[in-house]
Amino acid sequence: MPAKPHRILLDRVSAYADEAAAFMRRRRVARRPFARLYYPHGRSADHAQDSRAGAELFVAAGRLIEVAGEKPKR
Amino acid sequence: MATVMIQEARARVTVGIFADMPDAAAAAPPSEESAAAALEFLAEMSPDLRGAAIVGPEGEVLAATGEERERWGKDAATLFAAADEAEGVAVEQVHIATEQGEVFAIRNAGLAAVSVTDRFALASLMLFDLRSALRRLASPNLGPPGGTQPRKGEA
Repeated sequence: MPAKPHRILLDRVSAYADEAAAFMRRRRVARRPFARLYYPHGRSADHAQDSRAGAELFVAAGRLIEVAGEKPKR
Repeated sequence: MATVMIQEARARVTVGIFADMPDAAAAAPPSEESAAAALEFLAEMSPDLRGAAIVGPEGEVLAATGEERERWGKDAATLFAAADEAEGVAVEQVHIATEQGEVFAIRNAGLAAVSVTDRFALASLMLFDLRSALRRLASPNLGPPGGTQPRKGEA
């Protein structure tokens, strides 16, 4: 007996949701630190942590993270 | 090839649009009260936010979370200096993701905003919120943060 049409639709939606969840999980595991700068007219540039500019950016970011401290409880 | 053409067209067309927007320079620096209100609204809107600051045209801190107000100004200036030096061009936005958290910084209309969030905060939303906060501070006629204009009959 063929599956009811709404079941097919639900299965399809669930499959997409599973794919999205897996993508987010992989992203959390695999993402590495980065420094991205955005310039006028939409241009952007990444700077590796081991480059001179990248190292300076990461040091400056580290200081700001230190100043911000922990997330305030709400 | 088609993508390149679209990107070129976008840059060509949107330059005209953005040139009409009241972004070029703030007439007068906003008050510390309005900057604090903008920061409060930002904190309300962004559950991932750990801390943030708004810096005026002269590098003075208009509003900041936490106790170390002056340190925000100094560290934000260091970040922008490092970012500008990277390619010798003034940056508009900065996004740095580390293991400890993420840092966003943006300059708009002579003002600057810096925020620190938890890891994996949505970058586009955070940058949008920072930019709109600065735009509202620079143009008070856009209304208070959150876009709630007083209704007719209300004081």
